[in-house]
Amino acid sequence: MTDSLAELSLLDLLLVYGLLLSTVALVRWQRIGQERDLLWSSVRMMVQLLLVGYLLQAVFALAEPAAVLLILLLMAVFAVHLVGGRVRQKMPRFYAIVGAAMFTGCGGATFFLCTLVIGLTPWYDPRYLIPLCGMVIGNSMTGASLAAERLGAEMVERRLEIETSLCLGATARQASAEVLRSAFRAALIPSINAMAAMGIVFLPGMMTGQILAGAEPLLAVRYQIAIMCVITTSVAVTSYLILLLGYRSYFTRAQQLRSDF
Amino acid sequence: MNPACGEGLRFENIHQRRRAVDGSVVEILRGVELEVAAASLTVIVGPSGGGKSTLVRLVNRLEDPACGRILLAGDDIARIDPLQLRRRVGVQLQTPFMYAGTVLENLQRPFVFRREPAPAADDTGLLRLLELCRLSSELLPRQARSLSVGQQQRVGLVRALLGAPTVLALDEPTSALDRPTADQLGQTLQTICRRHGISILLLTHDLLLAQRVADRAAFLHQGRILETAAGADFFNRPRCAELQDFLAAPADPGEVDRDG
Repeated sequence: MTDSLAELSLLDLLLVYGLLLSTVALVRWQRIGQERDLLWSSVRMMVQLLLVGYLLQAVFALAEPAAVLLILLLMAVFAVHLVGGRVRQKMPRFYAIVGAAMFTGCGGATFFLCTLVIGLTPWYDPRYLIPLCGMVIGNSMTGASLAAERLGAEMVERRLEIETSLCLGATARQASAEVLRSAFRAALIPSINAMAAMGIVFLPGMMTGQILAGAEPLLAVRYQIAIMCVITTSVAVTSYLILLLGYRSYFTRAQQLRSDF
Repeated sequence: MNPACGEGLRFENIHQRRRAVDGSVVEILRGVELEVAAASLTVIVGPSGGGKSTLVRLVNRLEDPACGRILLAGDDIARIDPLQLRRRVGVQLQTPFMYAGTVLENLQRPFVFRREPAPAADDTGLLRLLELCRLSSELLPRQARSLSVGQQQRVGLVRALLGAPTVLALDEPTSALDRPTADQLGQTLQTICRRHGISILLLTHDLLLAQRVADRAAFLHQGRILETAAGADFFNRPRCAELQDFLAAPADPGEVDRDG
């Protein structure tokens, strides 16, 4: 199949936006509210996407590895920042730990897929690297928030269990085994659910996009399987590293559970 | 359990602070001085909020004091590796915690932590301890969390004793028990102390229990030990006014305090 995407002109876009505006008008006429939020978020979406579009266009044209890496770095920094916003109970050295874990998990997984498996030429081909790495970072971000959030909450909730274990001769690691298990499970649930439901409950976005762009469904499916394996690995590695580096900060060197977090 | 292996404990000028909910710093212990003789049963009584639970947590280094030192058989425990220390000093916290699983699995848990072979259900040492703590061996396959709090407390005691500690510190072990069961536990503790030579530090506001079992008793009031005496003297001839008041009308005897 070689048909490329059908052209969508600015006029077409205005037409579609008109559809949304008529929805807003309908909502206003029926007085069920939400017209402000609808309008505001649709404007935000438009501005943000157009900006990203121009940015990507420029980066693609530039074909400069430094520019691509800068974009990836910015995405990662934003992701770490967002994780920080979502997690209320932050462990000590939170940003260093989350940053290191995201860098290792996402970087490793993306490198594996793009360089070792697909074998991009040039290695920084932005058309592949930016969207694939973006998906990996986005999913790992969710996993990282869930892991860090659960870790902090469980350390508080399971205080009696942890201290009982310490009394019975457990090391800090042994005493927090249940905490780590439960936090890791929470971090992986979205990926596990997504994989299990994929193809039946919903058609994943990347695959749909490739099919729309003219790719053969079977090739699109292969890409989807590959990206899901890589995403899940990245989520698992990122969350595991956060838990492994993070649990220690709740304990002193003398195998004591801190009380000041 | 090795017989006659008790070690003495000595608290020297122990201070401990804690940050209260409102952010202010509260001094919980204010210069505690106390001697627990080897293979004796020492009871600390005092009103809730006097620092009893904190004292227990210091003995096996669940936390370290802000200042002062605790000596175990003459050695400063701050210099003992906490994992080694916790095998010599058994501690039972006020609320018994049971792991999901059977009673037997709960009793085996410390051995799992220490990577040692765990006793089986027919282990003679284990059965003897169960009997000592008045628990039927039929409970072993039961789910630990389905037991009554009183039974859980005794499972916790067996679990602490299985590691053959030389010192045992217990925080309010009878708070959930009725009178006869509490008295039975008191007898059990006396047997553990006399027959097995384990030094016991018992913190309680159960004055009847304290009076029955104490070799020596100490009064912990607002973070200080105000009086120490042999059991009979302590209860029959209290010297300081605070202890006289406390013995006459112990404040909130039924209240269970978490961090007092």
